[in-house]
Amino acid sequence: MKKNKYIFVFLMLLAISLAGGIFTGAYIHLDGGRQEQKGIHVVTSFYPVYIAALNVAKGSPGVVLENLSEPQTGCMHDYQLTPQDMILLSKADLFLVNGGGIESFLAEVGKSYPQLAIVKASESLDLPDGENAHVWMDTRYYAGMVRSIAEALKKADPANAELYQANAEDYCEEIGKLTEQMEELRESAQGKSVVIFHEAYEYVAGELGMDTVYCLDLDEERQISAHEVAEVLDEISRGRVSVVFAEELYGKDMGNTVETETQAKVCYLDALVRGNYQADSYLSAVSENIEVLRQAFCNADK
Amino acid sequence: MNFFSWLQYDFMKYAFLAILIITPLFGLMGTMIVNRKMAFFSDALGHSALTGIAVGVVLGVNNTSISMVVFAIVFALLLNLISSKVSSSTDTVISVFSSCSIALGLAILSQGGNFSKYSGILVGDILSITPREIWYLFVILLAALAFWFLGFNKLLAVSLNRTLARSLHISAGWLENLFAVLTALIVMVSIKWIGILIINALLILPAAAAKNISENMREYHFFSILFSVFSGVLGLVISYYTNVATGPTIAILASVIYFATYWWGSHNNI
Repeated sequence: MKKNKYIFVFLMLLAISLAGGIFTGAYIHLDGGRQEQKGIHVVTSFYPVYIAALNVAKGSPGVVLENLSEPQTGCMHDYQLTPQDMILLSKADLFLVNGGGIESFLAEVGKSYPQLAIVKASESLDLPDGENAHVWMDTRYYAGMVRSIAEALKKADPANAELYQANAEDYCEEIGKLTEQMEELRESAQGKSVVIFHEAYEYVAGELGMDTVYCLDLDEERQISAHEVAEVLDEISRGRVSVVFAEELYGKDMGNTVETETQAKVCYLDALVRGNYQADSYLSAVSENIEVLRQAFCNADK
Repeated sequence: MNFFSWLQYDFMKYAFLAILIITPLFGLMGTMIVNRKMAFFSDALGHSALTGIAVGVVLGVNNTSISMVVFAIVFALLLNLISSKVSSSTDTVISVFSSCSIALGLAILSQGGNFSKYSGILVGDILSITPREIWYLFVILLAALAFWFLGFNKLLAVSLNRTLARSLHISAGWLENLFAVLTALIVMVSIKWIGILIINALLILPAAAAKNISENMREYHFFSILFSVFSGVLGLVISYYTNVATGPTIAILASVIYFATYWWGSHNNI
């Protein structure tokens, strides 16, 4: 009887180990079993930086570009590195980040991998204020980020320097077209007051020459209090704010409230903190934003 | 693919060491917690970690681990004191304490809508294990072993029958407090990487599974420690390869063991 029990325990643990092993093996197999690629490993911190680097490094044989396993929701502010990220970074030669405090885990990375070169794409820009790091929302600053990324890649992989330069110029030209459209919008938007539901839109407002009167930072897991809602509604009616910039995912409820309670029009803009990983997704998302803005301002003018 | 490739990273080495220290400890403490029907107590302790952090944040303490541990010890002692005085049943008192401390913690931490900063502690983050934590764990392991060798029989006597214990001149209150403090320490030191939501699973499941098939105290302890270490190590390796949080993986393995032993135990009339 007693012997039976130990045999049972042994078999049980063996079976669990085997099942776990097979499951894990299958998982790794399904996951594609990342193959070791030769070249310079470049890791980006999150979406806008990844897209910029993707465009600069397009067609380069010397670069393996990977992104951290970023969260599917919200911004990077409170992101914690996962073990997978640590593994990715341990193989990296260059870590491209946005900078400005968005990547709160940078100190940890620096401590774990002192040799890793970290380049902050927004650092070389001449920013209006240091607090807000969502610089990619302003197409002019985004072009600047692309240039700094190109410089970093040129330094890391001098053999393909010309390619990076050419790619960056092409891409900046595309961004320039968007900047021109924003300038056009600026004519009808300039000087108007706007309430924003995400810090990132301060740069959109800035590019349009608008005056941000109130910023309510709606983010994932952000519970707003009744007091704040009242404050926003007050601000909108008092400041005769006609436009609100909000994010579809987190600002929808608040946006609906604003539209029923006040005269203001809510524009749902993409904050570009996540998206699909196509090379042109930044460009298409910004064009969509411009379309939304155009509709808002043209209707308001009529 | 090399099976041991995961050991080349520092954070995995720390995690592995921590698992090797903490799981036998969990197995050991778990037996007593299950025996004394304190499962709910350790759960409440885990929840009090949230308040501990909140208190640390309010006081401006840099290392919230310290405020967490201090708060948990106070919490455990207070809970013991009140549950021995109040006439309503223990689970009601524990529930009151537990909800009270969660509410307090959530209220403080969600102030300004910033709870997401702390949500990591709910599921745990394995990267938060540092060499310093491992030293803490090691010291607690020694303390727990000392407590076990000196106080186990007395504590067992108390949990079987208080009157019997008193007749043997064993002071129940003192022992119970010591045990509560020890539980608080273990829970707090490991909660940051195991996570509030599942810490109790790791304390209770191995012991509960062992109880399913054990016929005496020696077997009970042996199986509890065995299951605990087994699910800890295997859970760590699986979570590494599948990119899942470590605490839940360990808890899932431990529950599988629980159900298997339950089935075997009920078929063999133990």
